[in-house]
Amino acid sequence: MSQELQEALNLAGDAVTTDSDGTVRLVGSECGDCNKNVFPPTAVCPECMSENLAPIKLSAEGKLYSWSVVHAAPKGWNLPFIAAYVDLPEEVRVFAHIVDVDPDSLEMEMPVVARIAALGTEESGAPFESYAFTPVQKGNS
Amino acid sequence: MRDVAIVGAGMVPFGKYQEKTLADIAWPAVKQAVEDAGIKKTDIEATYCGTALGGMMAGQRILKKLGITGLPIINIENACSSSSTAFREAWITVAAGVYDAVLVIGVEKLTKFGGGTLPLEKEDWEVSHGLVMPALYAMRARRYMHEYGLTENDIADVSVKARKHGVWNEDAQFRKEVTREEVLASRPVADPLKLFHCCPSGDGAAAVVICSAEKAKQYSASPIRVIGSEINSGKYMTGYRDMTSPEITLRGAKELYEEAGIGPEDVDLAEVHDAFAIAELLYYEALGFCAKGDAAKLLADGETSVGGKIPVNPSGGLLSKGHPIGSTGVAQIVEIVRQLRGQCGQRQVEGAKVGLTHCTGGGVSGFDHGVCSIHLFAR
Ligand SMILES: [Zn+2]
Repeated sequence: MSQELQEALNLAGDAVTTDSDGTVRLVGSECGDCNKNVFPPTAVCPECMSENLAPIKLSAEGKLYSWSVVHAAPKGWNLPFIAAYVDLPEEVRVFAHIVDVDPDSLEMEMPVVARIAALGTEESGAPFESYAFTPVQKGNS
Repeated sequence: MRDVAIVGAGMVPFGKYQEKTLADIAWPAVKQAVEDAGIKKTDIEATYCGTALGGMMAGQRILKKLGITGLPIINIENACSSSSTAFREAWITVAAGVYDAVLVIGVEKLTKFGGGTLPLEKEDWEVSHGLVMPALYAMRARRYMHEYGLTENDIADVSVKARKHGVWNEDAQFRKEVTREEVLASRPVADPLKLFHCCPSGDGAAAVVICSAEKAKQYSASPIRVIGSEINSGKYMTGYRDMTSPEITLRGAKELYEEAGIGPEDVDLAEVHDAFAIAELLYYEALGFCAKGDAAKLLADGETSVGGKIPVNPSGGLLSKGHPIGSTGVAQIVEIVRQLRGQCGQRQVEGAKVGLTHCTGGGVSGFDHGVCSIHLFAR
C-alpha cells in the first residue's frame, strides 16, 4: 500500500506486511514491559503507559467473532460488504472486511485468513485497498 | 450534597426541520421548560447545553433568542450522551450548592447532513475501514442470536412494541404501528438489522429546569426528585470482549442502584437507548430487568409494554421518537418527568413512582460504548 493510502486509513505505515511467501499479516505493537499486544500499532501502551513497544507480526489466521452484511455506508465503499470482528491468537481483535465469500456460508468461530483486497473506490477513482480476511479453504490451511 | 429536583420540562416534537436553524428548533423547548417551571428567567443561574454536532456556542445561539444571557453557558459534546452529560454536570452544580437553579438543554439538527448513517470520527481506524453504527449493533445482534437463540422475529418485536407506544406520543416522529412482517420486509441496512430496526434520524430539542429540592417547592407542586446520577466512559479493550454484554451499562447500573439504595425491581418505567432494536434487549439484561438470555421472553410476555411490569420506552423510544443525538438524553428525562407527574394520556404508566433514563453514546474502536449516563428519578 502507498504511504498516502496508509494515511487515509489512519493506520501507521507498517500496520500491514507481506511475508516472502505471500502471507499477509497485520503488524501490531507488543509492550516490552507488560507484554500487551495492541492493533493498530501505537507509540504508548494502553495498559502500563510504557513507550517501550516493538512491532509484532500478528498471525495471518484468526477466528470470526461476528459479522454483518452492510448495505448502507458512506460513499466510496463497495456495497454490500461484510463487516466483521476477527480474533487473532495474540489476544487482539481486529475489525475487518470479509471478502470473496457467500455470506450465507459464514459461521461463528470459523477460521479466516488475512489478505489484501479492494474494498472501495478512492475519490480519484483508484481502487481502495487494505487488509481483509477470507475463510480458510478447507484442506489447505 | 443537596437533593435536586426537576421543576420544568419541555420539548419540541422530533422531526425534520431542515428549513430552521438550530436555535429556532430549540428555543420553543426552552421556553416551554421555563414556563412549566414558572421560574423567572433572571433566576436561572447557569445553563448546560448538550449537542454533539450542533457546532460552537449552541447554548448562546439558542438563549439569545429568549434573552437568557449574561449567565454561565456551558456547551457539552459527548456523542449521543451529550445532553445526559449536560444534565449530570448541571446536577452536580446544584447538588454541590454552587447554583440553586440551572437550565439544561439538549439539541441537534441532523438534517443538515442530508441523511444516511451518522457521520463518525474518521481518525478512528475502524471508522476509516468502514465501520458504521448499524454494523456495530448488527454484530452484537448476530453474536447474541448465536449464543442465546434469539430470533429475527424477537428483534423485530422490539420495533413493533416501540411503534405501538409511539402512536400515543405526539412528540414522536413515527406515529403508525408496524407489524413484525413489515419490519422484516423493510430495507436491509446491516444484516440482520433492517431499516425498521434503526431509529430515524432527525432534528429536535428538549429542556429541563432543575433546582435544589428545597427551592423546588416554590416553583412546582410536583417536583421530580433526582435520586441517582451516574456517568461513565467505556473501558478500552484491545483484545476479546463479550459483545452480548454491554459492560458500560452493566457497570453503570450497578453503581447507580447502589448510590440510590434501590434495585431494578423498584423501577416502574425506563427510557433506554434503543438506537437499534437489538440494543433494547441487551439493556433489559444490563439494567437488571431480567436475567441474561431472558430479554426476548420479557418482551414477548408484554412486561416491557405499557401495562406490563416494567414498561420500557413508553415514549416510543428512539425507534419511534427519532434520535437527534444531542437532544436524546434530556428528551428521555422529559418523558420520565411527564410520566411521574401522570401527564402521559394513553401511554401513561399507571402509578409510576420511580423512573430511569439510560443514554449511551459513541462508536470508538475498542469500547463497548464511549460513554453511558444513567439517571433515576422519583416523585
Ligand atoms: Zn504495557
